[in-house]
Amino acid sequence: MMLQIRNLRASVGGKEILRGLDLDVRAGEVHAIMGPNGSGKSTLAQVLAGRETYDVTGEVLYEGRNLLAMSPEQRAVEGVFLAFQYPVEIPGVGNLYFLRTALNMVRKQRGLEELDAMDFLALAKERMKLVEMDQSFMNRSVNEGFSGGEKKRNEILQMAVLEPKLAILDETDSGLDIDALRVVASGVNALRSKERALLVITHYQRLLDYLVPDRVHVIANGRIVRSGDKNLALELEKYGYTDVEQDAAGATPSAVGAMP
Amino acid sequence: MNILKTATGARNHTQCDSLLLGSQCGAHTFPYIEVMNPTAQVEHEASTSTIGEDQLFYCRQRAIPVEDAASMIVNGFCREVFKELPMEFAVEAQKLLSVSLEGCVG
Repeated sequence: MMLQIRNLRASVGGKEILRGLDLDVRAGEVHAIMGPNGSGKSTLAQVLAGRETYDVTGEVLYEGRNLLAMSPEQRAVEGVFLAFQYPVEIPGVGNLYFLRTALNMVRKQRGLEELDAMDFLALAKERMKLVEMDQSFMNRSVNEGFSGGEKKRNEILQMAVLEPKLAILDETDSGLDIDALRVVASGVNALRSKERALLVITHYQRLLDYLVPDRVHVIANGRIVRSGDKNLALELEKYGYTDVEQDAAGATPSAVGAMP
Repeated sequence: MNILKTATGARNHTQCDSLLLGSQCGAHTFPYIEVMNPTAQVEHEASTSTIGEDQLFYCRQRAIPVEDAASMIVNGFCREVFKELPMEFAVEAQKLLSVSLEGCVG
């Protein structure tokens, strides 16, 4: 099992956002996580990546090891990748330089030699084709002045270069027009493999037309309230989240405890 | 900054950008501008920012350890100025920066 989440709870400022979430993901699988705003989807992504602003309890095993005990950079070198919902701008730091530094940190961990600027450029050029990215991007500062779509493409480029084992895509489709969505989705599709698991957080069925998931989960009130195959996403698209939210309300421990 | 009496049509832009490291510091900028010629155009601009938690986390999620990340962000911030310096100063400034950054984060 690549990822095993048991009774994961996360709160920030005393407010509990994840309330006992369980999830199993095997290598090679694509899991879609859907759910209404504020249900905890992005919190799950942030907690798995190691964001320190949350108080976290529960158990997360990544390849059998305690993920929650690792620092963010340790998780990254071990192959956990988060495509950010809002990629961060770093003025004055070249995109190419940033990505090469990141890759060399990962290579060091894997016992591989560091890539020099020339070798890296060749690799980057090849991977940029996946997301139809222009080479001029590489000489600009990290995400600075990029449009929303360019930022999302840049995230997928980073994923293509870093070759993670577990990639978490946090609303990578939001803010994309239909052409950019197709490019990003086909880039991600090309990165599907037997050794790699994807956790795709999305609001819309649209992305899942291109990127067909093995499992679809619905989060409401901080836990997974329903799981199914790709048809669940179609059902949600049609009927919305009202039903699942009612399920979630009915399943809270206090409600169960109050019954005679 | 001084604009002398004979400097007709002089043009100046001064920019002071501060980057705060850690929670125990602040920045104050005091521009001194003396203008002796009424045709001069003078501008002054100041900004203060911090190394964002978001920037650090982004770098760390990309496998870059926190100290390297901080140094990368600061160097990026200073690059605008460094690239205007003559080569030997730029190299020196870069070295000074990496020395003074050791152990300031984490």
